[in-house]
Amino acid sequence: MLRYTVQRLFWMVPVLFGVGTITFLLMHAVPGGPWDEKKNLPPHVVANLNHRYDLDEPLWAQYGKFLGSAVRGDLGISYTNQDRDVVEVIRQGLPATMILAGLAFLIAVGAGIPLGVMAAARKHSAIDFASIALATVFASVPGFILGILLVMPFSVAWHLLPSGGWGSPSHVVLPALALSLLPMTFIARITRSSVLEVVEQDYVRTALAKGMTPSVVRFRHVLRNALVPIVTIIGAEAGALLTGTFIIETVFSVPGIGRLLVQGIMQRDYGLITGMVLFYAVVITVVNLITDLLYAAVDPRIRYS
Amino acid sequence: MISFKQLVALSGSLALLLVIACSGNTAATPVTVAPATTVTEQPPISDAAIRMNLGGEPNTLDPQLASSLLEFSVLRQLSQGLLGFDENLILTQLVAAEVPTVENGGITPDGLTYTFKLTDGVSWSDGQPLTAHDFAYTFKRILSPEMAGPYSDFFSAIQGGQEYMMSAEADEAVKAGLRDALGISAASDDTLVINLSAPNPTFLQKVALVAAFPVRQDVVEQYGRAWTEAGNHVGNGPYVLSEWVHQDHITLEANPNYWGEAPKQARIRLSMIGDVNAELTAYKAGDLDIARVPPGIEAGILADATLGKQVLPSSQISSLALFLNTTDEAFGDPKIRQAIATAIDRDSWTEQVKNGVGQSATGWLPPGLPGYDPNVGSEYEFDAEKAKTLLAEAGYPGGEGFPEVSLTYVAAGDQGIMAQFLQAQLPENLGIEMGLDPLDPPSYGQQVIGGRQFDMTLLLWTADYPDPENFLASLFSSESFLDITGYASEEFDRLAGLAAAELDQESRVGLWSRAHEVMISDAPIAPLMFVERFYLKSPDVQGLTLTGIDGEIPGDTRLAEVYLSPEPRLLGR
Repeated sequence: MLRYTVQRLFWMVPVLFGVGTITFLLMHAVPGGPWDEKKNLPPHVVANLNHRYDLDEPLWAQYGKFLGSAVRGDLGISYTNQDRDVVEVIRQGLPATMILAGLAFLIAVGAGIPLGVMAAARKHSAIDFASIALATVFASVPGFILGILLVMPFSVAWHLLPSGGWGSPSHVVLPALALSLLPMTFIARITRSSVLEVVEQDYVRTALAKGMTPSVVRFRHVLRNALVPIVTIIGAEAGALLTGTFIIETVFSVPGIGRLLVQGIMQRDYGLITGMVLFYAVVITVVNLITDLLYAAVDPRIRYS
Repeated sequence: MISFKQLVALSGSLALLLVIACSGNTAATPVTVAPATTVTEQPPISDAAIRMNLGGEPNTLDPQLASSLLEFSVLRQLSQGLLGFDENLILTQLVAAEVPTVENGGITPDGLTYTFKLTDGVSWSDGQPLTAHDFAYTFKRILSPEMAGPYSDFFSAIQGGQEYMMSAEADEAVKAGLRDALGISAASDDTLVINLSAPNPTFLQKVALVAAFPVRQDVVEQYGRAWTEAGNHVGNGPYVLSEWVHQDHITLEANPNYWGEAPKQARIRLSMIGDVNAELTAYKAGDLDIARVPPGIEAGILADATLGKQVLPSSQISSLALFLNTTDEAFGDPKIRQAIATAIDRDSWTEQVKNGVGQSATGWLPPGLPGYDPNVGSEYEFDAEKAKTLLAEAGYPGGEGFPEVSLTYVAAGDQGIMAQFLQAQLPENLGIEMGLDPLDPPSYGQQVIGGRQFDMTLLLWTADYPDPENFLASLFSSESFLDITGYASEEFDRLAGLAAAELDQESRVGLWSRAHEVMISDAPIAPLMFVERFYLKSPDVQGLTLTGIDGEIPGDTRLAEVYLSPEPRLLGR
């Protein structure tokens, strides 16, 4: 297991190298540079800026510098953030995104799994259809609409929760809720179908025949065996939540990292783009690794060596 | 200045607007009714904060690097330059004891030497006296090639400025020599002398810009690029930077060491809500005292019983026009360009695209600017028949045989709607087919502004300083790097050259007016409108004065005079 983990971590190196290189090349291939969006700058100011940030050097030299500093954990500076280090910019926004995504994750899992189990237990009942309906609605309504639909009653009409911003626990509720609804219904659907599959198994019938109560059977036997596909989807959703907060952060003005990548791309902030992509690559690979390790925990038949 | 960002900020997603419009104003009735209280004329400084929205994170709060309207809005509270503009946009003294003129000896008759006397007792926010040496440092910093300040070009008339700006790749000793040779010196603690290499009639207006706000050498050197963070920052404005939570909000507090009249409100809170619709929601929820009205829903807001009374229209000095590439085969002939300018129904444009906000324009110089004349370009009043005749005279009767053209624009906000409106107008009124070419801002900047790779494009220009020169010189002079349309007119260049050296204000404005007429009759652009913005302002907010050069926050040039009335705040709007 340890060996497997180390092996996987080792494989992150070529993955990150590839991601970094592709991002670097794509970013420079896109028309427009960091100074084109900002203003109509005179040519000599552009030349001075390029000189200041070494953008007047040939691409391979810039690439070399990028690799050299990335290896040391230095992701360069962000032109659009007063030249602050990209690492610092990410570190500053990370807590807000972690709290937001973390709470959304807890809501999604905490409500999604019981909802799925209940839907499976009462197949074709009202709750089953309701969960299908909700899943369809949340899958098709974009996040920013969902955000506004939540803000209208809770902030504008009843003044219960702030419409946006950050700083107190009450600020987290609406964005976390808006972020969690889609993954929640998704997890509920997967749980339902996975549970239904396991329910058909012989050992479930045996357990029931032995006189165990249905709820014990449901949670101890059925759910445990149904967990593998659920863990897969939960892992994917965890990664998606951490890296997919852009729209919700924008709607609720959350000072997280979700906005940074889009901001970086729109302003051709090269340091911010490569920094954020590499960061997201690390997040995704780590989450995938944890998911794979969890398989072994929930299913004793799976062993890594 | 062309501002893509501003266009983006001015606009919102139509789909979203529809949703808001349809959902109505659920909280139109106030939850509590304020008891009638008498408002004293000079209310005491209240501890509450005026809450406004910047619309985003400032990329910098260094005056010499700042370039966006939201950065200007913050900086105008933190610092003050030698000169400023009053509510009628007339130059007025701030840190300088008076506006230099030839009569008071502040400007030499040849227009080459400017002497600024500083007001007594001006201090920095940390209590240290502000001297002419600070300004000498600042003006040299503007021109520094390492800084590469976006407004450095405005100050290139300073003796040695051009050479110093171009010396990025020279070695340190050469640079230091060029720096010392600049025509900037502090004759004493309270006298700053600036020598120009050629007369520059708008120099004082540029001195009043944010780019020339003073910075202090020891602070910059002590903290490096972090000198603008809260706690490090030292300014000389009515407010100090007490908190900058990146990507979230900025808090300004009254500067206890301010040398002028103390601000009327103790605190200003500037949030960074990027989405205009979220901003409106925050206003409705009572979380903001002033907010922008998202473009496209102005009519609905005006019709609202409560919100309609809180609308605050603001006319920035800005113009919007369709720019035509005159080096393009399609638009080489002035007759064709005139046909285009005549073929656009501007009243429908204002109604359908802009919801009735703004003023149709046939000229380029907007109201509020010296030289504005509503009659310029009156020959381009919408007339489809006349437009067709002009096009026929140019050899394309009914638009037949006209080359394929496309409209390049920034794919953000309501630019798409504007583009579609034009795409419908030109075939209908001229028989010309037009394609659409949306680009993201940096690609647009490179292709259109830098590369002149376009047929037609939409451009919004906002005043940096209230002078016709700012609207004409760089955009239409044939030698300018910003001559986007490729327009080249000997007569225009001649008039622009005369105006650039004319020290008499009246003759100078007259020259620019003539240059304006020449340009408009050649029609490298088809003017569309003078832009207006709508804000919402809580009835609590008092003392707001709007000017044509306001940044992202309305009234930001005189925010120290704004206060919240002591009436209890209404819970909802």
